[in-house]
Amino acid sequence: MGLGKFLVKRTLQGLFVIWGVVTVVFLLRHLTPGNPVNTLLPPEASQEQRELFAERLGLNDPVHIQYYDYLVGVAQGDFGVSMATGRPASELILIRLPATIELAVAATVVAVVIAIPLGVISARRRHEPSDYGATIFSLVGISTPNFWLGVMLIIFVAVQFGPLPTGGRGPSFVDAMIATLTQGQFRDGGIVEWGRYILLPAITLGTYFTALLTRLTRSGMVDEIGKAYVKATRAKGLPETLVLYKHVLRNTLIPIITVLGLQLGTLIGGAVITEEVFAWPGLGRFLIHSIYQRDWVLIQGTIIVIGVGFVIVNIVVDALYVYLNPKVDLE
Amino acid sequence: MSDEELLRIEGLCTRFFTENGQVNAVENLDLTIDEGEVMGIVGESGSGKSVTALSLIDLVESPGRITDGRIWFRAPDIADELIESGADDEVTDGDFVDLRKLSEEQRRSLRGSRFSTIFQDPMSSFNPSITVGEQIAEAVEVQRRARANPRSLDAKAQRYGLGDYVLSTVLPSKKYVTGASRDRAVELLELVGIPDPVERADEYPHEYSGGMLQRAMIAQALAGEPEVLVADEPTTALDVTIQAQILDLLSKLQAETGMTILLITHNLGVIARMCDRVGVMYAGEIVERGTLEDVFDHPVHPYTRGLLGSVPDLEGAGGRLQPIPGNVPSLLDHEMPDRCYFADRCPKAMDECLEHPPAFDVEGSEYHTTKCYLATTEYTEEKALPDGYFDEAGRAADVGEEPSETETGIGTGTDSETETETEADSVQSDGGEPR
Repeated sequence: MGLGKFLVKRTLQGLFVIWGVVTVVFLLRHLTPGNPVNTLLPPEASQEQRELFAERLGLNDPVHIQYYDYLVGVAQGDFGVSMATGRPASELILIRLPATIELAVAATVVAVVIAIPLGVISARRRHEPSDYGATIFSLVGISTPNFWLGVMLIIFVAVQFGPLPTGGRGPSFVDAMIATLTQGQFRDGGIVEWGRYILLPAITLGTYFTALLTRLTRSGMVDEIGKAYVKATRAKGLPETLVLYKHVLRNTLIPIITVLGLQLGTLIGGAVITEEVFAWPGLGRFLIHSIYQRDWVLIQGTIIVIGVGFVIVNIVVDALYVYLNPKVDLE
Repeated sequence: MSDEELLRIEGLCTRFFTENGQVNAVENLDLTIDEGEVMGIVGESGSGKSVTALSLIDLVESPGRITDGRIWFRAPDIADELIESGADDEVTDGDFVDLRKLSEEQRRSLRGSRFSTIFQDPMSSFNPSITVGEQIAEAVEVQRRARANPRSLDAKAQRYGLGDYVLSTVLPSKKYVTGASRDRAVELLELVGIPDPVERADEYPHEYSGGMLQRAMIAQALAGEPEVLVADEPTTALDVTIQAQILDLLSKLQAETGMTILLITHNLGVIARMCDRVGVMYAGEIVERGTLEDVFDHPVHPYTRGLLGSVPDLEGAGGRLQPIPGNVPSLLDHEMPDRCYFADRCPKAMDECLEHPPAFDVEGSEYHTTKCYLATTEYTEEKALPDGYFDEAGRAADVGEEPSETETGIGTGTDSETETETEADSVQSDGGEPR
């Protein structure tokens, strides 16, 4: 099966999943106690005003009509209008999406860049001090709660050393790249400034992930290094770097990619705590605030966007499997 | 076949340090191999044949280690270079170099170019997720780079670091394997008789049959035009008709290139068909060696006779095969007695055999030697050890220990599996005083 056909098939399956997400999200509102009208209007609003308000939100229609309207709206990219601010939900969500994606990707990059070499070294020098060091690091990393780590980084790094801010977000990655590439601007509005803001949140979010990946890489490599082809590859005289990275690591990547995909999906929606600690204006923080405000339209929209993110990441992961393991067919 | 020595192994000891104790997989092994000959090593599983091969190409893995001995390899160019850089007699001997005295990098640079290896199971000896063509091209590339850099051994052991590899994933020009090497890989596949080599080069190992893949492995081994080809059970994993094809291919290639082959097998038929000389291994040492004629027609060591007796003979069909009773002994150091290791299974064990025999020259070619007292002493009934002597002797020696039932020594790989209790364990389990 060709890649194009595979993508079409998986996209159709993905649409089905997203339809499920939309349905559940829609039903949740109707299963939860509390009337949005009472939440949003001040207590002294008159009965007339309440009815008018419900009418405007479409709350008086039968449920199946409301469901149909909502589905049609979502299909057109219209998640409704924020109850609190009156602005379109899709607009509010989309402006926060880049921040979240940036943070999730940065955390993943931090994790991959640290974890994979660490895991390889650890597997290669089994039962030597560097291996024990890596093992201790991953144990500590896995058991450190990231709200604590974030606060500690703020206190001991950001506050002590000037260059790294305690929170907030600099320019967006795209803007920073443009500024750097077109105007040669690194600091103000450039890539360095972008990096200053994202570094600590990315470390905070990526630490658990780094630790997990280190362990996965190590155990995968240890299994793989014992295989006969490794000896055969060494017998050819191939440089050890290539033996380890091109041959052994490549075959270890299959389970790593699986976890990577699942985690990246989680990071899109689950960076809530890190975003809160660092006042990072992303989707997670937005979701929390929408929940505080009982802004159902925004909550629904955010969850659907996160769901779409999950689906896309999973399609990409499946396509990567085929690249990594020639025995897997695109089916 | 010239008579010049190419390899001279002296007193090679390879040991594995396992939880159960030290395993002497190869013990004090002497072997010489002449240029252009096919040298065979034959023995049962666990006799140390494969470990000998791995020791030669320096691929013995932890917990194993070569602990002693010298591996002299004739390489005038390397010897000159080493002498220029101030190496002494310990490292070089005329045109010969002691491979064990070279640095890790230097030894690696010899792999592929001077020594190539064919492994037992082709299916597991190729990386399943890289195309066969690419893997052969890698072997070609290793040699191409070594030749492009002829100045010194150290330069030949090319450095290709992590940085280069990371760059190569982005920049095609940084890739290790070049187009020329890929083309050469296709030629090699054609040379070993793989049809449609251009298409086959882009296939993965699982798309090949076992015989095809073994051909591909031979192609890979030929990539560096090696002087010595170590073939470790090259046909064991294949079915009989394919075995014959692979052996024919090896013979043909050997005749064409004049390379030296060290052929390791447990199959005497393979030895008879391929080899000029043969060494019979038992319990980590060569117990008899000689030309094919010496060993097959005038065997002295009862173990050699036993091996020959366990081969089916179609002409004299009807008679029962004569298996050698017992198993390969434990190679655990503390269980290896200071006597002939074969005595407990030997039908002609006698008083002399309680002492470990040296190598005796015996009649036949000048190369024919055996580690057996039968070479010098006539076997008579009076001298024979009584039946069951070693069972009792074994028990007498192991006071306080359960009867030894060790049957496994070293497998064909490097992992050793031993199922014996160490003495310390049994003392404790007997309720000895806590220390």
